Amino acid sequence: MLLQLKNIFKWVNSGGQRIFLLKDINLNVHEGEFISVMGPSGSGKSTLLNVIGMLDAFDEGEYQFLDESVHDLREKNRANLYKEYIGFVFQSYHLLDDLTVKENLEMPLLYKKVKGPERKAMVADMLDRFNIVGKKDLFPAQLSGGQQQLVGIARALISSPKLILADEPTGNLNSKQGEEIMELFKQLNQEGVTIIQVTHSEKNAAYGSRTINLLDGRMV
Amino acid sequence: MYKNYIKIALRNLLKNRVFSAANIIGLTLAFGVSILLVMTAMFELSYDQFHQKKDSIYQIYLSNQTTKGTRISTVNPIPLAPSLRDEVGGIKHITRSLSQGDLITYEGKDFDLDSEYVDPDFFEIFSYPSIAGNIENPLPDKNSVALTESTAEKLFGSADPIGKTIMLNRGDEEKPFAVSSVLKDVPTNSSVDFEILVPFENHPEYAPNIDTWESYNHLVYLELEEGVNVAQFEENTRNFTNLHYKNSIDDAIRDGAQADENGQFKQFYLLPYTNVAFVSYADGVAKVSRSFPYMILGIALLIIFIASANFINMNIALSERRLKEVGMRKTLGAFKRQLFVQFWSESLLVFLISLVLGLVMANLLLNPFKTLFDTQATFANIVQPKILLGFSISLLIITFIAGGYPALLVSKLTTLRALKGKWELGKNRLRNALIIVQFVIAIVLISGTLVLHSQIQFMRNKDLGYNKEQVISIPLNGKKNGYRVVDLLREELAGNPNILGVSGADINLGRGRDGSVSTSKWGFDYKERFVGTNILTVDHGYLETLDIDLLSGRAFSKEHNETASLIINEAMAKELGEDNPLSVQIHDDNSTYSVVGVIQDYHFQRLNKEIEPLTLLMNEEWDLYYAYVKIAPSAIAESYDTVKAAWQKIEPQAEFLGSFLDENVDRTFNREKKMATMVTSASVLGIILSCIGLFAMAMLVVSQRTKEIGIRKVIGASVSSVAALLTKDFLKLVGLAFLIAAPIAWYIMDGWLQSYAFRVKLGPLIFVMAGLLAAVIAFIAVGSRTVKAASANPIKSLRTE
Repeated sequence: MLLQLKNIFKWVNSGGQRIFLLKDINLNVHEGEFISVMGPSGSGKSTLLNVIGMLDAFDEGEYQFLDESVHDLREKNRANLYKEYIGFVFQSYHLLDDLTVKENLEMPLLYKKVKGPERKAMVADMLDRFNIVGKKDLFPAQLSGGQQQLVGIARALISSPKLILADEPTGNLNSKQGEEIMELFKQLNQEGVTIIQVTHSEKNAAYGSRTINLLDGRMV
Repeated sequence: MYKNYIKIALRNLLKNRVFSAANIIGLTLAFGVSILLVMTAMFELSYDQFHQKKDSIYQIYLSNQTTKGTRISTVNPIPLAPSLRDEVGGIKHITRSLSQGDLITYEGKDFDLDSEYVDPDFFEIFSYPSIAGNIENPLPDKNSVALTESTAEKLFGSADPIGKTIMLNRGDEEKPFAVSSVLKDVPTNSSVDFEILVPFENHPEYAPNIDTWESYNHLVYLELEEGVNVAQFEENTRNFTNLHYKNSIDDAIRDGAQADENGQFKQFYLLPYTNVAFVSYADGVAKVSRSFPYMILGIALLIIFIASANFINMNIALSERRLKEVGMRKTLGAFKRQLFVQFWSESLLVFLISLVLGLVMANLLLNPFKTLFDTQATFANIVQPKILLGFSISLLIITFIAGGYPALLVSKLTTLRALKGKWELGKNRLRNALIIVQFVIAIVLISGTLVLHSQIQFMRNKDLGYNKEQVISIPLNGKKNGYRVVDLLREELAGNPNILGVSGADINLGRGRDGSVSTSKWGFDYKERFVGTNILTVDHGYLETLDIDLLSGRAFSKEHNETASLIINEAMAKELGEDNPLSVQIHDDNSTYSVVGVIQDYHFQRLNKEIEPLTLLMNEEWDLYYAYVKIAPSAIAESYDTVKAAWQKIEPQAEFLGSFLDENVDRTFNREKKMATMVTSASVLGIILSCIGLFAMAMLVVSQRTKEIGIRKVIGASVSSVAALLTKDFLKLVGLAFLIAAPIAWYIMDGWLQSYAFRVKLGPLIFVMAGLLAAVIAFIAVGSRTVKAASANPIKSLRTE
């Protein structure tokens, strides 16, 4: 098992009232799964993804990630854990505007202190794999949305994570670009990467092996 | 419309509270301090400007060619002024002027007054108006004196001073004088300062030297007739000089001095009176330098610049946030000019608020400031139409740039781009340039502070060649003869184990509490050559009391008649050029002196001078003016009280002004201390203001880069690497500033130190320290912001889509 959520609650206090963002979430994710999270706006999809990605804390419950109890970990160890095993893909790509494609891909490796020659090889490999060698010296603003998202995914993959978390990865793309990205996810999944995506579209959800529906912070 | 402008301006100030506060605090500090500094500078510059005839008044000085180059003297022989008037044309009025301290007695009470011995023309030349008694001719006869208003009140209280008789102490006798007029108090910005004016003929040196051209003791001021050219006048004095100074010119020729370019060995020059407060005569030229007041003005300007640079930077950065507002206004039909005026009026508002607060601050700080910097400056010094006008114009210009530049950028944007809220500001070049200049200024000021303090420390700790810690010097300001007082002190203190020695001299070491510093010089021919030396009249036990080392020969002793004996210092021995200085016999007029001892060089003058030749002699005809008492290192405070008590018993009428020599030495670099305090405060303020700016910029940069920070953290950046990334950019600017500032600071401080014969070595360490200090402070200012931003949760920043 890759990760297990047990009775996860998350809330905020507003005007003396407790508003639940996540309510009693129980979820087991096995390696190699491709899960789609669906639900209306404000149902807690992104919050769930952030909790899984350890970017956000929860208030109650247990979270096991690869035999580590995330709820017992200290902030720093938690950060190390997600940096090691989790890659993020965002709706608005979140590339660094001042860096070229190549430099954007290189960044996570720099932070992991990967040695120069090895780093170059990994970047070249990734550029090759995503067929963007010709774009390596361009800046994000010079790319189309689909291409930017491709770079975003490549960047998420470069440190070989076990899990990819994608928050509406096709939300800013047209349908053709969206389709290409989803095909890519499918292919990655077949290569063994576990993927959890948040999506509004039934069609995109169908790419997954399993769909979770959220409503007002509850799994339905 | 204007109401709308002001409303929007106020709301904007409130919305950006932190930045508004940073700006207003920074500008208030800058204005407050600058007002005080400008005031001081203006006060210094206003010296002697109050004389109605200031443009036609001159002080005369004589340029002498000697074997050692050109030497300038401002003191003159008694017959000079009258002869000059009679023999050289073009003089409308001329007066001699000699200031000294005198003891005045009225109805049994003694008063120490600053007196000025002058000729009647003094009143024609200078504007010291008489307000009571003789208005037209304040000194009608030889036995009359004029008092200033507050002196008259000190002496007579509310009684009418006119016609009252006061006694002037003359050694052992007293001479009566009638008060003939009361003058308005001397303005604080007057070079000539006095409490009582006495006709020149009454000076004790007057009668014996009335026809002597070889004794110099007073200054001469004159007013030229209208249309007389200064250069022409100076040329006209040549024959006069060659005639009256023939003896000493002959000596100069014999010694091998070189004549000046006009073939003159002595040449009179006129110094415009308004320059008198700013002149120095080093290296044989009259150098008029107003660098001190201009330095203060410069510092004030730099401080305002730093604060304004902050303002400009923050304004540009903030206006980015208002692009939408600008776009909206444009779609609503605003003209460029209207937008410009709006932004400008907002800047003006901030400046006016700061200015008012700055004025309040300056007012509150005025008294501590005056004490700290020992200045008499008042608001009246800056409340002059010219300055106010200049200030208003510069205020408009600064706000025009500070508010106008971003306003111009914003108002030039096309409506659509403004609405989109995108704005490329050209890589923040202006911002970086301004930050660099700020830190250049800060680092130069910090280096200046460090150098000034180490020079002062150096002078304070320097071994001066005499014991300055254990010796009290007492100005003999009583009625009794100096030798008598020193003897009485000896008797009174005899047997006290804590008193190690008592002696006296005619000149003080350092600057005592009486505030007087003087030198006596003596010149004579030795082996067909003119030799000049400082002379000091001393009493028995002088060397022992002050711990001055005797190198050879003997000290003065009671067993010999010492009236023809001399003790010289090493510099003098070198000047005489004898292998055995103890064999030297000096013939002067009718006497023959022989050198009996050689002492080690000691610093009898300020440390900016090399040690000059010095000759010690004993001659009871020349009075002593200072007593020295050496006390044991234990029980210093007690012994001081013992000495004071003894003094009060001996001279019950006179105030005890005794002080330790180290205090006296300290007092000689009051000027340096004043400068150090000023530069220190300026550099502290400069670095604070620069850091306020840096802090605000860090805040803005962080807010502009939140998204980037979030991304970096999500893809694996640690807190420290993000903080370093953000801080690095600022520290780079400080580093660059250091590279620019170090040579500038070195050049300035090296130049300043050149005026000291004894000075600290200027190593790179001081500048590195200044740079490091600036960097550390900048790091704290920026780091506090960036670390906070770097530790924030990335999803917060990434969510704002």
